[in-house]
Amino acid sequence: MTILDVRGISRRFGGLQALSDVTFSVPKGQIVGLIGPNGAGKTTFFSTLVGLIRPDSGSIQLDGTSVVGQKPHKIAALGMTKTFQNVALFAESSVLDNVLTAGLLRHDVETARKEALICLDRVGLKSVAHKLAGNLSFPERARVELARALCTGPKVLLLDEVMAALNPVEMQEIMDLIRSLRDDGITLLVVEHHMRAIMTICDRILVLNFGRLLADGTPEQVANDPVVVEAYLGRSMEAHK
Amino acid sequence: MKRWIAILAVIAIAAVLPLLLSPTGYWIRVLTFTLLFAAMAQVWNIIGGLANQTSLGHAAFFGIGAYTSTILVLKFGISPWIGMFAGGFLGGIAALIIAVPTMRLQGHYFALATLAFGEVMRVIANVWTSLTGGPVGLSVPFVPPSIAAYSFKQLLPHAYIALIALIIVTVIFEAIRRSAMGYRLRAIKENPAAAEVIGIDTTKVKLQTAVISGVLMAMLGTLYAQVAVFFDPDTVFSAASISIRVALIAILGGVGTAIGPILGALFIIPVEELMNDLFSSGAAGLSQLIFGVILIAVILWRPRGFITVFDSLMARFSNKARS
Ligand SMILES: Nc1ncnc2c1ncn2[C@@H]1O[C@H](COP(=O)(O)OP(=O)(O)OP(=O)(O)O)[C@@H](O)[C@H]1O
Ligand SMILES: [Mg+2]
Repeated sequence: MTILDVRGISRRFGGLQALSDVTFSVPKGQIVGLIGPNGAGKTTFFSTLVGLIRPDSGSIQLDGTSVVGQKPHKIAALGMTKTFQNVALFAESSVLDNVLTAGLLRHDVETARKEALICLDRVGLKSVAHKLAGNLSFPERARVELARALCTGPKVLLLDEVMAALNPVEMQEIMDLIRSLRDDGITLLVVEHHMRAIMTICDRILVLNFGRLLADGTPEQVANDPVVVEAYLGRSMEAHK
Repeated sequence: MKRWIAILAVIAIAAVLPLLLSPTGYWIRVLTFTLLFAAMAQVWNIIGGLANQTSLGHAAFFGIGAYTSTILVLKFGISPWIGMFAGGFLGGIAALIIAVPTMRLQGHYFALATLAFGEVMRVIANVWTSLTGGPVGLSVPFVPPSIAAYSFKQLLPHAYIALIALIIVTVIFEAIRRSAMGYRLRAIKENPAAAEVIGIDTTKVKLQTAVISGVLMAMLGTLYAQVAVFFDPDTVFSAASISIRVALIAILGGVGTAIGPILGALFIIPVEELMNDLFSSGAAGLSQLIFGVILIAVILWRPRGFITVFDSLMARFSNKARS
């Protein structure tokens, strides 16, 4: 069953074609990796999916409903939200309140608080629930982003580099979490520069280059695709060695 | 528990205080206006503090309330109690009309747009003579004293009505702050894009806030009209003595907190009166000058408002109680 169907999405910023004719569809319950060099358009694409950026053309269907032109809050209510790569927490609020606020999309305050504690527990941050979000370290804040997005009760969850700057143990925890979210029936799109992590957890990988979809296949297919290796993997593999 | 005892004690003191003042005297008047301005600042605090949108146009709603109830009583003999709700309704509509175009504006631009709106309302009230009486102003007609007619021989009932109004708007403020809406407003204030992406209808929440604040401000306009008995457009639609003053009271007291506007009004209104009293015989403008200097000193001393003095006193008090 297709949960997300993207057809011919394009978006220009002045002279820059940030996205051009991106088309693919995702069946429910897949973990899809989205990779590509810096500036390839990954974040722009996520922002387009959640309604922060309006595409110049193309269509996006979430679980059968067209979401192009809808406001982000409407798309969140329909079941798709994202984390922010540059971290956009409510810095003056506690970690718990950050996540609780997302829970209000589907619950009253008391239930949202319980849900928020569950989400924080899942990302391993229950112990800092009462700290101010602005006082956390960068990797911790990225995990609060994840907990907050999760607390909206999404069908499709877009994770934009939540593993940046994590140590190997923490990274393993987040990878386990992503798998358990998939087991809960959530479909995930994951942007990550860390190749080993992405190759391990993803069922499928999309490669974006200069806003254009370069490849779409299993991790093995993509890793052995000469075009992809040329455009991205070759360089990035070296960078990660 | 302790908190409730403290709150009840403060209300009890506030309830007894008017009885101690001479019923025909000067200070009961100061007290009434202090309570009324505290309530107005609290209502401003809903949009200014919770939504972080610094409105400098709240006189618009205040004036609409004062004029609506007074015109209704003058032309149709309708009790100001009912007129108060009619004014609240119109104040809400006015708030919606100004909120729709200004909502996307931030910071200074929002402040300037609302300031301009207040001024436009003042000009309209001055020009629309057939309805408002124009620059001459309106007098609330004398009717035999009764609660139903909102008419009293003395100021004492007005002081109590202002006190009750202050309690009601403070409860509303605190209820909003703790509710889902309060969480949503904090999210919008801190990161509007993230707020939308996690499902908050930022437009709707901002409009709701503006309308609640506008309705309540207009209702307080009726309270003012009944105490003042006479007013003109330049008084109730005043940028300086209504719009900016209520913002100032809330900011000086501690913006975004329930206690802030009350502390701010308890300071500003009596001190302003005192300065007028002490220095009115001096050179013209001397009292305002001294008042201004005091304000600057206070803002430099406590940039985050009196609430910080209050907080440290409370901390010291509870430390003593423990040891
Ligand atoms: N609002 C905008 N206005 C103009 N240009 C933009 C805007 N947002 C993104 N861009 C440009 O679009 C291109 C794609 O940026 P994007 O952030 O989507 O890349 P990315 O793949 O997420 O990169 P990274 O791996 O560094 O996060 C970049 O050249 C960027 O400068
Ligand atoms: Mg990016």
